[in-house]
Amino acid sequence: MTLLPLISRRLLQLPGVLAGICVVTFMLLHLAPGDPARLLAGDRASAETIAAIRHQNGLDQPLWQQFITYVANLLAGDIGQSLRFQRPVSALIHQFMWPTLFLTGYVVLLAVPPTIMLAIASARRPGGVADQIIRVLGIAGLTIPVFWLAIMMSRFFGAGLGWFPVSGYGQGFFGHLHHLFLPALSTSIWLVPVLTQSLRAALIEKTTADFVTTARAQGAGEGEIFWRTILPNAVLPTLNLLGVMVAFLIGGTIIVETVYAVPGLGALMIGSLLGRDYYVVQGLTLTFALATVIITLVVDLLTAFIDPRVRL
Amino acid sequence: MHLFRTARALAAGTAVIAYCAGVAAPAVAAETIRIASPFPTTTLDPLRSAAAGNIETYGQLYARLLQRNPQSGNLEPGLAESWDVSADGLTYTFHLREAKFSDGSPLTATDVAFSLERIRTDKQSAYPAPLSAVNSVTATDPKTVTFKLKFTFSPFLGNLEIWNMGIVSKVDVEKQGAEKAFSGVPLTSGPYVVKEWMPNEKLVLLPNEHYWRKGYPKSDATVELLEIASPETRIAMLKAGDIDVVRGVQWAQIDELKTGENIDMRLEPSTTIYVTLLNNKREPFSNLQARQAAAHAVDNKAMTKAVTNGYAEPANTTLPGAVDFHDKENPGIAPDPAKAKQLLAESGMQGREVKILATGGAAEQQLALLLQAQWQAIGLKPTIVNVDSGAWWDATGKGDYDAAATWWYNETPDPDLAVRWALCGTCGSNSFNTFYNNAKVDKLVEQGTKETDPVKRAAIYKEIQEITTEEVSQIPLYYAPNAVAYAKRLTGIKLTPTMQWTLEDMVIAK
Repeated sequence: MTLLPLISRRLLQLPGVLAGICVVTFMLLHLAPGDPARLLAGDRASAETIAAIRHQNGLDQPLWQQFITYVANLLAGDIGQSLRFQRPVSALIHQFMWPTLFLTGYVVLLAVPPTIMLAIASARRPGGVADQIIRVLGIAGLTIPVFWLAIMMSRFFGAGLGWFPVSGYGQGFFGHLHHLFLPALSTSIWLVPVLTQSLRAALIEKTTADFVTTARAQGAGEGEIFWRTILPNAVLPTLNLLGVMVAFLIGGTIIVETVYAVPGLGALMIGSLLGRDYYVVQGLTLTFALATVIITLVVDLLTAFIDPRVRL
Repeated sequence: MHLFRTARALAAGTAVIAYCAGVAAPAVAAETIRIASPFPTTTLDPLRSAAAGNIETYGQLYARLLQRNPQSGNLEPGLAESWDVSADGLTYTFHLREAKFSDGSPLTATDVAFSLERIRTDKQSAYPAPLSAVNSVTATDPKTVTFKLKFTFSPFLGNLEIWNMGIVSKVDVEKQGAEKAFSGVPLTSGPYVVKEWMPNEKLVLLPNEHYWRKGYPKSDATVELLEIASPETRIAMLKAGDIDVVRGVQWAQIDELKTGENIDMRLEPSTTIYVTLLNNKREPFSNLQARQAAAHAVDNKAMTKAVTNGYAEPANTTLPGAVDFHDKENPGIAPDPAKAKQLLAESGMQGREVKILATGGAAEQQLALLLQAQWQAIGLKPTIVNVDSGAWWDATGKGDYDAAATWWYNETPDPDLAVRWALCGTCGSNSFNTFYNNAKVDKLVEQGTKETDPVKRAAIYKEIQEITTEEVSQIPLYYAPNAVAYAKRLTGIKLTPTMQWTLEDMVIAK
């Protein structure tokens, strides 16, 4: 079983990645100006009140002591409690995780089919009319800011035409599909050009590869060459790119989640950062790091499945 | 026989229809009204926070001894049916009415004493100031609560109506501990109970069937308080019919919403005042003439028009226009660039750098830019530093800034808490982080607290406004109404000047 070393290599990386993330976010958060106690208690709370709240939450201890307490709890499996909501961070992450995961999956489903079609259409005749049109559309999709596009789409399709809800997560599977359509579409419009460019370049590169010439010399038909030789070889870099993008989306849907008021991890991250809710932010960063490692592992496994050389 | 069978079938049919109607009726009535606000609910414990968002929530959950009439704004009996004041004005005795918590358990004088002593004396109480004149709160018998005051205190009854004066259950809080009692579904005494709290997203409320006011809330609708950070999103949601009420409508959005078919765009009176804080702790604005120069350089009428499209009223003194004893006659600080330049020259602060702190809000950003331009014109060197509100409070609290345009409001019409917050150097707030400190003003603040004659109080607060406006403890900018948009089918609901939704009076048109 040759996949074993691959998996174990990734799993060995995990503690290092998590430890690094843990130290860096802890330092960044605690060194940034701003006091969770002040933000919780409000403008009018006196200095004495703030001091009492800080003491209660152990925020008045030296930084190294707070860090050791945090790490000790972490090792015991406790990722802490929200300073503001007095609820476990794990419960909060669990509550906000599903909309984000659903949205990410939705984006992938919306983005992958057009990517493959557009890339093939472009690569078929590089520099041709189709290629030029797709390139111009791609540049437009890339350069239009996601937040602007999201606001415009919510105004037009939501508030104007009333086709889609402009906010929230909805009830049930089809409710989610309906509510998250505009957020997923806004994100896909930006994602498709990125992936298309990558796949197009790989396709063009592979059409002139030696093994394609060999296949052609052996008398294979063009269709067979494309589907069985060029595409599987060209798809690998794009698959890796998609993996990076999915990992990015899980932690980076902040903009669409804000514009469409989706109660996901991005919305929780923003709220917790603004409220200096230290342990929630840390729990989220750890979750994002974990998600990235897992997705990279999945992409590695898929790559190994598609490309036998990796398994060697 | 045949006829009989038909009649029986008819009767059964009628019964089925009646049954369906009976089931269907509440289902139709149980609507959901959704209110979107930029301010999050971060706790359900009235002790823990005085931040916007929580203030609005407490009022729906916890009843208070007194309440304000939603129309007139006058104080009226709440949980206290009546009260007596001793001749020396130092003892207040409140007689409670029959009332229950949301689980049906009785609300007694013990709960009142517990709740208010908690706010007054707990070290972590976010805002004990409204009870600072109180010496003790005791339950004399199950229906009677007695307050002993340290001195005569005319704002007292009004202060008992402030949002953190809500009554919580002593039994429940002591049994579970405050953290547990308030982090999920707390026992409430007000018009609503918590159905579900999804922190950072929404708070879902249901009418409290044990609320002491019979027939209230008038509507049996479920109410959702949603946290929506982006102003554009809030408006899109309103237009799409996703929500029914929007708080914090941006000035630039008002005209568009006024033309909305099913939208009732209202500008409701508030005690909100926008000011520019000047840091008295360091140069240039530790210098009186430099502060006066900065104030004369600012054309607050033009700024008000530019930033609020004329929807706010230019401020003339350092106090909110809607609080009692606001001095309407005060001429304010006239825009006069020539005088500003001269004052700045006399102060010797020309060419000094001025660090303007600005948070991300649209109004704050515009105000910072306008201040920068006007101060540049008189020979200061202003730079804008953008921060989030956490860093803003950190920097202003330490005095690490020179100027900052911001707002505050007063939770009750009486100006006592307002002057203590914004103008008093010895009341714990450092004059709202300006470090303005004038012993005369501090003395007047104390006199205003203890004086009971309204005419004399008016004179005291007039003098406070004269001194602090003349000495520019802050630059008054404008008095902003609350811009709130409602779905037209809602009546009876509004956001009061004390930042409370009158949800229990809301009626939904069919």
